[in-house]
Amino acid sequence: MNRRMRASLIVIVAIAAAAILNNASLKSKAATTGRTPIMNSADTNTVLLPNRSPLISFRILFMTGSAADPKGKEGLASLTAAMLAEGGSRSKTYSEITDAMYPMATSFSWQVDKEMTVFSGTTHADNLDSYYSLIREMLLDPGFREDDFARLKEEAINYLKNSLRGGNDEELGKEVLYTMIYPGTHPYGHQNVGAVGAIEKLTLKDVHDFYTANFTQTNLVIGLAGGYSESLPKTVQTDFAKLPKGKPGAARMSAPTQLPGTKIQIVQRETRSTAISLGFPINVTRADKDWPALAVVASYFGQHRSSNSYLYQRLREARGLNYGDYAYVEYFPRGMFQFQPDSNLGRRQQIFQIWIRPVEPPNGHFVLRAALYEYDRLLREGMSKEAFESTREFLSKYVNVLTATQDAQLGYALDSRYYRIADFPAYMREQLAKLTLEDVNRAIKMYLKSDAMRIAIVTKDAEGLRNAIIGNKPSPITYNAPKPKEITDEDKVIESYKIVVKPVDVVVVPVEKVFQ
Amino acid sequence: MKLLIIASLILCLPLLALAQKSRKAFAYDYTIDDLRNDLRLITIPTDYPNLVALYIVVQTGSRNEIEKGKSGYAHLFEHLMFRGSEKYSGQQRDEILKKAGADSNAYTTDDRTVYHEVFSKDDLDKILELEADRFQHLKYPPDAYKTETKAVLGEFNKNSADPEEKAYEVLRATAYQRHTYSHTTMGFIEDIEDMPNQYDYSWEFYRRYYRPEYTTIVVVGDVKHDDTLAMVKKYFADWKRGNYAPEIPSETEQKEPRENHVDWPSETLPLVYVAFRGPAYSDYKKDKAALDLLAPIAFGENSDLYQKLVLKEQKLDTLSYYFEDRADPELFLVSAKVKDVKDTDYVRQQILETYKRFATDAIPQTKLDSTRSRLRYEFALAMNSSEAIAGSLAGYVGLRRTPLTIDKLFALYDTITPQDIRETAAKYFVDNHRTIVTLSTKKEVAK
Repeated sequence: MNRRMRASLIVIVAIAAAAILNNASLKSKAATTGRTPIMNSADTNTVLLPNRSPLISFRILFMTGSAADPKGKEGLASLTAAMLAEGGSRSKTYSEITDAMYPMATSFSWQVDKEMTVFSGTTHADNLDSYYSLIREMLLDPGFREDDFARLKEEAINYLKNSLRGGNDEELGKEVLYTMIYPGTHPYGHQNVGAVGAIEKLTLKDVHDFYTANFTQTNLVIGLAGGYSESLPKTVQTDFAKLPKGKPGAARMSAPTQLPGTKIQIVQRETRSTAISLGFPINVTRADKDWPALAVVASYFGQHRSSNSYLYQRLREARGLNYGDYAYVEYFPRGMFQFQPDSNLGRRQQIFQIWIRPVEPPNGHFVLRAALYEYDRLLREGMSKEAFESTREFLSKYVNVLTATQDAQLGYALDSRYYRIADFPAYMREQLAKLTLEDVNRAIKMYLKSDAMRIAIVTKDAEGLRNAIIGNKPSPITYNAPKPKEITDEDKVIESYKIVVKPVDVVVVPVEKVFQ
Repeated sequence: MKLLIIASLILCLPLLALAQKSRKAFAYDYTIDDLRNDLRLITIPTDYPNLVALYIVVQTGSRNEIEKGKSGYAHLFEHLMFRGSEKYSGQQRDEILKKAGADSNAYTTDDRTVYHEVFSKDDLDKILELEADRFQHLKYPPDAYKTETKAVLGEFNKNSADPEEKAYEVLRATAYQRHTYSHTTMGFIEDIEDMPNQYDYSWEFYRRYYRPEYTTIVVVGDVKHDDTLAMVKKYFADWKRGNYAPEIPSETEQKEPRENHVDWPSETLPLVYVAFRGPAYSDYKKDKAALDLLAPIAFGENSDLYQKLVLKEQKLDTLSYYFEDRADPELFLVSAKVKDVKDTDYVRQQILETYKRFATDAIPQTKLDSTRSRLRYEFALAMNSSEAIAGSLAGYVGLRRTPLTIDKLFALYDTITPQDIRETAAKYFVDNHRTIVTLSTKKEVAK
């Protein structure tokens, strides 16, 4: 028995015991759980969440992603995953697959991030055998047809050119921020979907090669949840043992070097409003002991899509400047479409990020100043005892909301395995209970202070905004209704709040050049 | 062997019941209680532990915005309801929700406004008290009102970056001339810009619609019925019934095909929206059910059209349909995102021919059966948490105030024949009831 296995078994025993103590009716399930580890297949990493639901969720995770894209082939990981999940298998065309899934109302989703590629789907137990045999074929015996390739390649290009550049200023701003922080030479230095010019040159052979090299047993983690039969985990392990063995994961990754000073990129685009994202890298992930402290800070300062946060209260609630204002310590794509983060976006490096939702262009300069003013205040003042207690209480309960579905539980369990922490809800509750105000305020000083702020802005009058920023002239704000003196006094400070940036570091980029 | 097993604490017994015994589409036991003021409570205990999902459904949406110049107020109210009430300021409210670990939000559609929270079960009493206070004693001064109208404008602005939002807005304004479905839920931009001047009117809107007879409270999760009812009575029994019933203007007969075009100021893929006037939601008349079954067959990802235009010829980036359950007759919309502007006419023709084809040819029985199966499993798969159950229910509650309508609807699906579908398609997909909207990059910008 190696060390890791022993650690895992301890987790099983501990949780099963807790389950029995908490609820007598769980005894039968705990017994089932006890029998499951019969699987003595060789080397397959597996995370299992058995329960009695008639729904069965699969998360087939590969520890590879866009960070593994070869130089000049940015977008290959993403296109390969698309070919598996949205292309045919060797024996079935993609149409035949979707036809077979149609009466089951199932689908097979994919997500590619820097270091993780996950395929996921949920089926009703009635259809388990048919569903599993379809996804098994898709992942293990892909068709890699030319017509699928041409379609999916074009889809990727259109995503970058049209959906991102032409239809979603907010996501565009956030993604531009990442490219500012991670230079092109860094494995994180390109958008997950790739770069237009590189995608155009990709070939089917590239996809083939990437698949063989990266979709390996070493990179694989099988995740199953729901009321599946006892034999299913073993079956899946045996089937996936067909994948090549593969080499151990990627080498060490160095943190991006940030030149000191503020740098601003303004993307010029024909649009009604101004979207702003700002941030810098932090040397903390969920694997680190200070992460729960930073999670508290981010929640207090800007809980995603919640009015319960400091920034939201100051910018939207008190001033009506926009639709919302949030802060993050982990990558959170597609935030405009969803309230909870997706799982399986595990990264070795993360950034601290502030997301200012679109504001009216005349207010752009003021709001940028306000965001920096509030950020500086957070650094200066930290969190109060009261804010700390209430945020801690919120997060301790909110983990239940984050893991309300079995698919979410499975996703979090896979991520906890990646970060080598205990099961997420239990881990968070335990860590939060131990946390003190001093821990949190120390973490703010230690990790959230940066002299290398990066700011991405999407707006129409990019030159005008650039001139305003480098001119550092006052940007007074007017409202449609009188404001309390506290706000107007603060506005006086904000309207002249100095943004220290060299003119050469404020760059205007036409939208067509982004992700090209 | 590297194995990690995590025993899930979740048991899904109600869903298990679905698999084992029931053909009922909505497989949960529920209780309906009507208070004397006509407020309705639907309680659904589940075995998902710890959490409660509270959905408060107000049968008021942009459909109720009947006065000229006053579009967007149902949605504005969705915002104002977070501004505080007699007993709790917005900030106090936020603090209470924060302590409950709550996920709290709201949304507005054409027909309903839904306020929803998910939180720990011990906080149900407090949160019901909080909700009762804002539904009965909302309070916002003129200054806060004006500030909130700016947040609504901010929301319009963020949406306006998306060409699909614009095409849909123009489609509605073209297809409807009298009915309030002519504007989207956001409202017309000129009305949104005028909102800061309409403080008094905003109260009029509240007095009309924020009334018990328009409202249904849905509680799903780790709860007991009797306790829940007692709490709801404690906080909501004194709420006064209203007496307002809006006269929603009925749409005039459309006597000619309509068309509109949008010039988009930046680079985008062209859009083609082809819509026909369809029926309203019904759980006993066959028309809506027949077209519900037809939609995925004719225009879904498994349809011949999708296979042809998206997969084989690869002319389209996306092809989708949109045909919601609505209180009044709704558009049956097919939308396509075209890769090359040269193919726009071809795509439009293909969509029109497909509409026609299903009005003349009956679909095979096997296809119909597999679609019925799909709708049933789709519904079952969506029920994966207490919140998901409450969320799925909210739409039906907004229409009929009871989960029973779901079982009736699925029973109705079982009666539909290929012949019904053909006849219904022939009845609705007629040229004079058609509206087409196209959108493309304006010439000066296009390269």
